[in-house]
Amino acid sequence: MDPSSSIQEPFDLIRLSLSERVFVKLRGDRELTGVLHAYDGHMNLILSDVEETIMIVDVAEGAPEGQGTVNVAKRKMEMLFVRGDGVILVSPPSRT
Amino acid sequence: MASQILPLELIDRCIGSRIWVIMKSDREFTGTLLGFDDFVNMVLEDVTEYETTPQGKKKTKLAQTLLNGNNICMLIPGSAGPEET
Amino acid sequence: MDSPTPPPPPPTNDQSPPPPPPATTSGSPTDFLKGVVGKRVIVRLISGVDYRGVLSCLDGYMNIALEQTEEHVNGAVTNRYGDAFIRGNNVLYISAAEVL
Repeated sequence: MDPSSSIQEPFDLIRLSLSERVFVKLRGDRELTGVLHAYDGHMNLILSDVEETIMIVDVAEGAPEGQGTVNVAKRKMEMLFVRGDGVILVSPPSRT
Repeated sequence: MASQILPLELIDRCIGSRIWVIMKSDREFTGTLLGFDDFVNMVLEDVTEYETTPQGKKKTKLAQTLLNGNNICMLIPGSAGPEET
Repeated sequence: MDSPTPPPPPPTNDQSPPPPPPATTSGSPTDFLKGVVGKRVIVRLISGVDYRGVLSCLDGYMNIALEQTEEHVNGAVTNRYGDAFIRGNNVLYISAAEVL
């Protein structure tokens, strides 16, 4: 069965991603990948085996706008609660 | 006592005409108003988006668009927008 | 029994209701959303980031499920997702990217 045919509302996409490794984009230039264990209507999430990526843009003095160096910081967490209001996007693993 | 006109009645009378939408942020839209709901989410047609970026003013043409009412600040009925004057 | 009704639709075996009439491309936000599901759209977030893809479905909060999604920042593609769920509070607008 085509998985897309079982998607009637956006949250179905999340439901189908339970126990899968998902990509989460958060406010404040944060990105997470982790295994999705639980979610609710606020998009509060429980993730495990999480890797967080933080983009830190250092704009050099006098450099034109948008010409900074981007530093990427990574860290790992075993188990994580994400408050839903910070969530921008959740993408399940590719089905292809 | 004359019945008072509600703000959204005024907007309802604009359906089919051009409207200028100014957002809370530094962003504006013009388009033909096709409809709206109680949240003032708006459906616009033949839309131009105006944004002010560090690189200067930017204009984007859009087809039929649903604009989220959450970030709307002001509506100017019948106006062609920032380029009118 | 000679009623002036149009001929019945071709018989079907399933019990599903007849397909809705083609959605009008005008009117209320609800009408717009009915017409745009399954079509290519541009979703712009308040941050200015664009997501271009096929609209799978959405709900009353403007939460959105997109397929074949491309993330555009300042005109350049920065990410591709097979599926993407976008939380509605971030959405600035949903714009049709093909004729309705």
